Amino acid sequence: MSADATRADLHPGVTGTVFDIGYRNYTGAREGIRRSRLAVYKDGLRTALGIGRGGRAKILPIGFMVILSVIGLIMALIAGAIDRYTSPGMSRTLNLPSHSDYYGIAAMILFVFAAVVAPELLCRDKREGVINLYLVRPLSGSDYILSRWFAFLTVILAAALLPQIILFLGLLLSDPVPFNYFKAHWYDIPKFLGAGSVMAMYTTTLALLTASYTARRAYASVFLVGLFVITAPFTIGLAQELGGPAGQWVSMFNLTNIPLHVSDIIFGDVAELTKIAPARQLGPTVLSLWCALWIVAPGALLWSRYRRLTP
Amino acid sequence: MLAVYQITLRQLTGKWRLLIMAALAGMPVAITTMMLSSSRSPRVEEFEMVVLNTMLSGSIIPLVVLAIGGAAFANETEDRTLANLTLTPLPRWKIVWAKLLGVISVAGPFIGLSAFFTGYIAFLGDPTATIAITASAVAGLVLYGAFFTWLGLKTTYAIGAGLMYIMLWEGFITGFVSGARVLSIRHYAVSWMHVLDPRRFPNVEHPAVASVVAISAIAFAGFVWLSVRRLRKMDIP
Amino acid sequence: MSGATTPVIHVDGVSRWFGPVVAVADVTFNVMPGITGLLGPNGAGKTTLLRMITGLADVSSGTIRVFGERVRDNAPLYRRIGVMSEHETVYGFMKGRDFVRAMASMRGVPDIERAVDRAVEMVDLADAQHRPMDTYSRGMRQRMRLAGMLVHEPELLILDEPLNGADPRQRVQFKALLKRLAADGKTIVLSSHILEEVEELADTVLLIVNGKLAAAGGFRAIRAALNQRPYHVRVLCDAPRKLAAEVCSLPSVDAVKFDPDGALILLSRNVTDLQIELPKLAQTAKIRMHRVEPLDDSLESVFGYLVEG
Repeated sequence: MSADATRADLHPGVTGTVFDIGYRNYTGAREGIRRSRLAVYKDGLRTALGIGRGGRAKILPIGFMVILSVIGLIMALIAGAIDRYTSPGMSRTLNLPSHSDYYGIAAMILFVFAAVVAPELLCRDKREGVINLYLVRPLSGSDYILSRWFAFLTVILAAALLPQIILFLGLLLSDPVPFNYFKAHWYDIPKFLGAGSVMAMYTTTLALLTASYTARRAYASVFLVGLFVITAPFTIGLAQELGGPAGQWVSMFNLTNIPLHVSDIIFGDVAELTKIAPARQLGPTVLSLWCALWIVAPGALLWSRYRRLTP
Repeated sequence: MLAVYQITLRQLTGKWRLLIMAALAGMPVAITTMMLSSSRSPRVEEFEMVVLNTMLSGSIIPLVVLAIGGAAFANETEDRTLANLTLTPLPRWKIVWAKLLGVISVAGPFIGLSAFFTGYIAFLGDPTATIAITASAVAGLVLYGAFFTWLGLKTTYAIGAGLMYIMLWEGFITGFVSGARVLSIRHYAVSWMHVLDPRRFPNVEHPAVASVVAISAIAFAGFVWLSVRRLRKMDIP
Repeated sequence: MSGATTPVIHVDGVSRWFGPVVAVADVTFNVMPGITGLLGPNGAGKTTLLRMITGLADVSSGTIRVFGERVRDNAPLYRRIGVMSEHETVYGFMKGRDFVRAMASMRGVPDIERAVDRAVEMVDLADAQHRPMDTYSRGMRQRMRLAGMLVHEPELLILDEPLNGADPRQRVQFKALLKRLAADGKTIVLSSHILEEVEELADTVLLIVNGKLAAAGGFRAIRAALNQRPYHVRVLCDAPRKLAAEVCSLPSVDAVKFDPDGALILLSRNVTDLQIELPKLAQTAKIRMHRVEPLDDSLESVFGYLVEG
């Protein structure tokens, strides 16, 4: 009796198929370069916020965001308390710090936040050779650095705008008729969005450029903070000493004030920090172009450092 | 111990690092020179608050020492070379001492010279004031060095934590909450200046010499002890 | 000096966990002088175990004694121990000789320059010793690390994946060196994935699977202890099917099968009796046998049985 006949007798009506489960090509969708960039962007976001890396990795980014937000909250509470216990609008009459002053107060904290977090996006990849893994994919150095830039910009934007939103909501809710407050002050929203965006782009570009020069996060962080720490008093002192147009141009090199001047222009008000800066005399056009230069030039340098990278 | 010290010196010195430290350390000297050549020279209290207290002790010294001290052990941990030191018969305290001496040796010349010339220029060569300012800076260097060396052992986020300490605690909170100065290294360092030259800074309330020395010694010994303990207890990568 | 029966390393009920993950679970064994191989699949806990034995990591429970002493936080003990971890733990800015000299200095070696000369000669890097180590190849860095480990003539050597990055010639030299050191009375514990080399070098093996000690001892003895797994013996002869029919009557044979080439495979849990019965049977049946070879009398098969279950 043949084997087949035997099998048929035992299991009438049953047939069998042997499948070749060896190597099979992927036949699903291929999503192209946009998906690659998005993946690097998302990874940058996760790295900056410490997501997926345990509790300790989240302490610093979240801690900084909390501190920045608390500043906005405190400003709102103080203004609300004064309006409540005196008369509505008294906080404005007394010229208490508000949206236009926020970045002057929080600028240094934002810069330190960037100095601490930005190196995580670039230095680790360089140090551990992971950047080579990116570059052997259909992803160029330009794609990589652009995605990282946008990822960090997202984080810094959140850090810069969240406190302003908290402040606006606080002031809104402390008004006896919030709708009236909104009607009277809705224009603060596009102003702080604009000023915050400038602040974020400036901080992101400088921080990432600094981080691109070293594989050690520590040195990148300290160098960036040192840069702000050095230029501020040096330019203030020298500008005062020189006076006149020379002093004004020297004052332009106070790296802390560059985005704050643009914030002053947007709000039509002058923050405490920039009040004494001789650079103000140069006018809004020069100050705005100067800030743009300090975003575009470092950005271009950052891009040029990565665009020709090969694995 | 000498081998660890030599390795540390080599690790912490690099051309760009030294240039940046020199630039940072040169700032107070440059600012002081500018102030004195200005038509409106500052009062002693103003100069002490802006240059000596805020800039030198509050920013320059801690930043320089953070970059060096924070990296003393952190670099070894990152590179996984710390086992080269701990898999030896060297007692842990000797390893910590060698690292700390390395930090002080690298940062010391910059900080010391910066403070010396700042004081010398500001007070027109007065030896007491110059020594007081230099001693204060060296005290700050040693205390920050011990603190940041421990921090570099304690966490891989030493730089972030250190910057938060410098900017928020020393730069902000201790300025508003006077009781917080008990936990302020800057306050201890600046106290040396006040006690060594009390006639120069008469309006500043300062503790007795013995208190300053004792508190500084306790703080330094405390951080060194914490470092040794940490090195003994931690899992070496 | 410890007697022949005193273990160099005594591990007793050692466990190590990282949060909810148990890396090493209640492991107990002794290491005697000679070469001991530590084997296991990736993630088995070998490196964690070695790190605890060398004091780099603490135990969560249990005790480890090396030369009768606690190893953790016992710096003087490192005069007698040399460790080479799996990571490239060198200072790239240092010249090779300077690195070995620093290692000797930290261990209090009396005649440092002579010790360094000897160590560098031992690893055949005398020509390259004055170059910075970041100009070395991976194999060279590995060898210089070995020199740094040997410079103080430790009694106990612990090596984690020492053959990583070594080329074939270096492997041969390295194996010869280890055998020489073992013959000199040193105790060597080496962890490796390369089963053939551990089989060649090690007198005893420790097999770690999922953090637990799955087997310990000579691998042949371990194989014999796996009595639920019959040996596979391949027999090349003139008439395999005729021989197959005959051997079914032997009590030492559990099963027979044929490989794709038609050769006869016998499964037996009693190879001692099979060795006697099979030739007699073949002679009686007038079947000429060309070759009889065990197929799973190797460390690889022992490893496979224990790891895969």
